[in-house]
Amino acid sequence: MRFCVALCLAAAWPVAAQHEKEGEKPKHPFIGDAKAIEAGRTLFGGGCAACHGAEGQGGRGPNLRERVMWHPLEDDTLFSAIQKGIPGGGMPAANLPEDQAWQVVAFVRSLTSPAYENPVAGDVKIGQELFWGKAGCSGCHQIQGRGGKLGPDLTNIGATRAAPQLREAIVDPDADGAPNYRGATVVLKSGKTLRGVARNRTNYSLQLQDADGNLHLLSMAEVSELTLTKGSPMPKDFAQRLGKPEIDNLVAYLSRQSLRPPEPKKKKEESK
Amino acid sequence: MRNLCLYLTLMGAASGQVRFEDILKGPGENWLTYAGDYQGQRHSALKQITVDNAGSLTPQWVHHIAKANGLRTCPIVYDGVMYITNSNELRALDARTGRLIWQYKEGRSKKQDVNRGAAILGDRVFFVTSDIYLVALDRRTGAVLWQKKYGSTEDGLYASAAPLVLKDKVLVGVSGGDTGMRGYVTAISPSTGEELWRTYTIPAKGEPGSETWGKYVDYGGGATWLSGTYDPALNVVYWTTGNPWPDFYGGDRGGDNLYSCSLLALDADTGKKKWHFQFTPHDTHDWDAQAWPVLVDLPYKGSPQKLVLHANRNGFFYVLNRVTGEFLNATRLVDKLDWASGIDAKGRPILIPGKDPTPEGTRACPGVRGATNWMSPSFNPSTGLLYVVTLEQCDLYTSSAKEPEPKKNFSGGGAGPKPSEVGQFFLRAYDPKTGERKWEYPMTGPGESWAGTVSTAGGVVFFGDDDGQLVALDARNGKHLWHFQMGEGLTASPMTYAVDGKQYVAIASATAIFSFGLFEPVRPVALPKIKIE
Repeated sequence: MRFCVALCLAAAWPVAAQHEKEGEKPKHPFIGDAKAIEAGRTLFGGGCAACHGAEGQGGRGPNLRERVMWHPLEDDTLFSAIQKGIPGGGMPAANLPEDQAWQVVAFVRSLTSPAYENPVAGDVKIGQELFWGKAGCSGCHQIQGRGGKLGPDLTNIGATRAAPQLREAIVDPDADGAPNYRGATVVLKSGKTLRGVARNRTNYSLQLQDADGNLHLLSMAEVSELTLTKGSPMPKDFAQRLGKPEIDNLVAYLSRQSLRPPEPKKKKEESK
Repeated sequence: MRNLCLYLTLMGAASGQVRFEDILKGPGENWLTYAGDYQGQRHSALKQITVDNAGSLTPQWVHHIAKANGLRTCPIVYDGVMYITNSNELRALDARTGRLIWQYKEGRSKKQDVNRGAAILGDRVFFVTSDIYLVALDRRTGAVLWQKKYGSTEDGLYASAAPLVLKDKVLVGVSGGDTGMRGYVTAISPSTGEELWRTYTIPAKGEPGSETWGKYVDYGGGATWLSGTYDPALNVVYWTTGNPWPDFYGGDRGGDNLYSCSLLALDADTGKKKWHFQFTPHDTHDWDAQAWPVLVDLPYKGSPQKLVLHANRNGFFYVLNRVTGEFLNATRLVDKLDWASGIDAKGRPILIPGKDPTPEGTRACPGVRGATNWMSPSFNPSTGLLYVVTLEQCDLYTSSAKEPEPKKNFSGGGAGPKPSEVGQFFLRAYDPKTGERKWEYPMTGPGESWAGTVSTAGGVVFFGDDDGQLVALDARNGKHLWHFQMGEGLTASPMTYAVDGKQYVAIASATAIFSFGLFEPVRPVALPKIKIE
């Protein structure tokens, strides 16, 4: 079956917004602050990246972007781990000035917090032109009701995914296994053939969505043959076709996609 | 029935849009509004399930929602797809299997409150988030089209009601009347999200009606946390309003406190109030009028009349002329009712002195949960009966003269039953023409239900009982037909729909959606050839 360009971004695990919900402990003012994040990136590159990778992707040390831990770390715990290290765990103490340690926390948090809350590299406007033009993303993805219907909706993608997740979804669409968006070709016992994505399925039923967005809610008793793509039907060659600057621009455009504007930042406390 | 020809026919229909005219038809295969129709009758034309075969009902599927906490949603169904809501979340399910098709979750909402359901029009499905956004989604893909913020949590508001869709508007209300706020109904364009009109339930200072308040008119309450009903011929929306604030202390708000605890008739095009009827002037018992205004056309006292029926939390069952708002009749809804000896010829309660809350506590009936509440009643045109979940309970009401602080979770007192006097729920059938109670079905349970009813052309009335059971009764006489223990408390109302010619009855439990249908042996499914490429 022939699929247009499709990004399976929305299938990835959503990230949590950094703003506070009612009753939550206030965040440190550096969390989500552009300048603090950039300062933290520099510090991270100088001291942490050797083990954790420049973008927190992991190496000798753990990947800081994936939610592999059962209990997410509090900001205070992260701060403490940076400052004191992990005795017996191979991580040395940084012993940075307090503000600098919080800048590193802010950077690490930006790796897993919504992209629209953080500065990103790339040009939003050029990314927009790519999305709706040459890159072909809009053939399968919608933003605010425009675009194709086979791929996940990206209207709020900047608010629900971190920038590294956006990048990963473009260059490695199968990274999350593309649940709920496997390409599917269904041959019915009547001889009719349907094509689309399998939004869900069991041995007994299949919820298929076609390229026009129509739902086909099938009993498997009606199906004689089902062909599924191994992962996402999205092309796997974006990294070769577009190159890093263009992917940066796409990520920048996607990172700004949110129907709700970012929460206004609280007044920053004076640095000590 | 599972034949492919019918299936393909249905799939052809599935690509169509939900038209206003489809909603006007009332519930059959589809259930297109919270109440199934515009009139609030919750009566379905489906009759596969009957008095004779209801005993063969069995669960068809269960859709569990992890971490749900007291689901309030009443599903809507269109062409085999069921739409349900949880706090800040809407899910589309395959109504035949319960399998998830898509899910939209708004993780940025600052509040996590209950949600009562969705609305549908055209190719869009709508719901509200707790932090007061109306969200429009593509009903097939779940893609978000727009969000409209129509209120602020900083004003003491939140949102929980299912929107009400008209021909070219989506109507929404606001919650929060127990902490000091000003309620309103807002009409929003379904295509653009533009606000078209807004009508406040409490007058602003200087406006007519503001003279019925004291110093807290700006925070008077009158929340609009339940959907309304609609008469398309009159083009009038009927929307009830909540209690005045502070709930239990009326000392600073002498007067009737218009238009709290009222039914408002609003011009659907402009939102302009055509008339109002206040059930409980100067309420001090938290007796919101948030129960469904049910629109029926019946011969009444010798002539056909357009009526609105209202089983009220204050313990009376009202009948009004819905064209003029004229009060026609009020009868006792419950036996435990001691704050008023009756309703006078103008519809005003005849008060029994000494029933206001006091710092020491005053026993009064009904209890604070009301003689009924937002749990849905239903009306069967064939039996001519209105089915209402009622509660027989009295409470000890206390008041506080502490200086009220709006938006600080202050309600001016409190109420609750003595442990030895926990109330009892009944499903009761009333004749609207006389107010007479025709039959009643007592329930067991802790006195904590919020579950309502649905009526069907098969002559069956379904309701959730106070012990977590979905129950089917003969609509004519209240005779028990069937029940199913759902394993947890019920806080939602049942509905009914059909797919591929099979009728289902669905209801939310605290954490799951259950769907029931007549027993059919499961046919073996030969696995198809599956290839992964």
